[in-house]
Amino acid sequence: MHPQIAAVFDEAENRYLKPEELKLISQYVASMPERLDAYRSLRDRELEIVQAVADQLEAASPQESEETLERCLKNALLMLRYCALSLLVNDESLVERRFLAWVSPLAKVYDTKAIDAKLYRLLNQQLSKMLTAKQLSYLSPSLSLAQEALLSQSSTPQMVVSH
Amino acid sequence: MISVADLLVNNRIPGNFFTPDVYVRGDLEVGLLENRQGDRLLAVPETLIQAIYSGLYKETGQANRLVLFNCGKWWGKSFYTRFCEQVTGYYSLPLADMPMVEFIQALQECWMAHGWGKIEMDQTYQQRGFLIVKIQNSAFARLAPQHNQPACHLEAGILASFFSQLTGKELGCIQTSCESMGADCNRFLLGLPKRLEPIETMVLNLDHDAIMQQLCA
Repeated sequence: MHPQIAAVFDEAENRYLKPEELKLISQYVASMPERLDAYRSLRDRELEIVQAVADQLEAASPQESEETLERCLKNALLMLRYCALSLLVNDESLVERRFLAWVSPLAKVYDTKAIDAKLYRLLNQQLSKMLTAKQLSYLSPSLSLAQEALLSQSSTPQMVVSH
Repeated sequence: MISVADLLVNNRIPGNFFTPDVYVRGDLEVGLLENRQGDRLLAVPETLIQAIYSGLYKETGQANRLVLFNCGKWWGKSFYTRFCEQVTGYYSLPLADMPMVEFIQALQECWMAHGWGKIEMDQTYQQRGFLIVKIQNSAFARLAPQHNQPACHLEAGILASFFSQLTGKELGCIQTSCESMGADCNRFLLGLPKRLEPIETMVLNLDHDAIMQQLCA
């Protein structure tokens, strides 16, 4: 749940909620049908969206190994799933805690920033074709958060320990 | 041609198994903590850690370090088994196929989720046959009695046993810097026991850098 709304519910334990607090809740509730629609579209068309991205990415990056491209696409799938979840519960911090905390150190080691940048461009194109402007506005805070965080980090040399 | 459907395993992409808000589950009513698989977790209060230190010291005197180290070894042995089960189960990969970076990262996340601090591997001396493990924010160091030597014998035991099993070689572990003595982090040196022998006396009067210099001179 969005931290602000969660805080409002915590307050409701002690007193009736103020008009502006209720407004926050009603705004969220009013946005729910649209959020659910967007979530359903993302869920049902996940493969179609990412497959289109994969085909274009493969064509645009003939020099990259399939392994690298697959790794980036897997991260993109994971990113999309967490962004969809965060759109539903209106909480971007979820992307940070559950997605970025895991994927950024790995993306840093594998140094896939250049491919990721291409991939995100293609992905965002697909998403803007498929979602309404309103739906996109609900998705984009978490999506930009994830993409910007991954594209802005510097690379580190790969670890070389073996089993 | 990459098939995106084939990238999904059982229709999912594994992320971070150890995300704290998913990994640790509590039931306030019954007062139990569990991990996401339903295994019981124990919350260890500071008083208990302090009591273990002081009780052991009273009962065993100087030997308390060895006792803690050996307890750590037991703990590390079961921790390794559990960790591997969780990781291989969740990522649907046999351990040998898991990239080392991901294995280490899972270990870091696991360490953090359990509240043991931040763990890092430093491979500067890998060619020399030593691995340095750094741990920050360790409660075992923070609550340790103040002495003029490193205090995290329990963690040293855990690491010795964990990495011995991971590498299939019997490894020793000696702590070379300690938060309880004002160091920025706890450093543990892992290597073959014979090669670590000379360090046991060095830790009493040399800091980590000086020890590494002597060791690799």
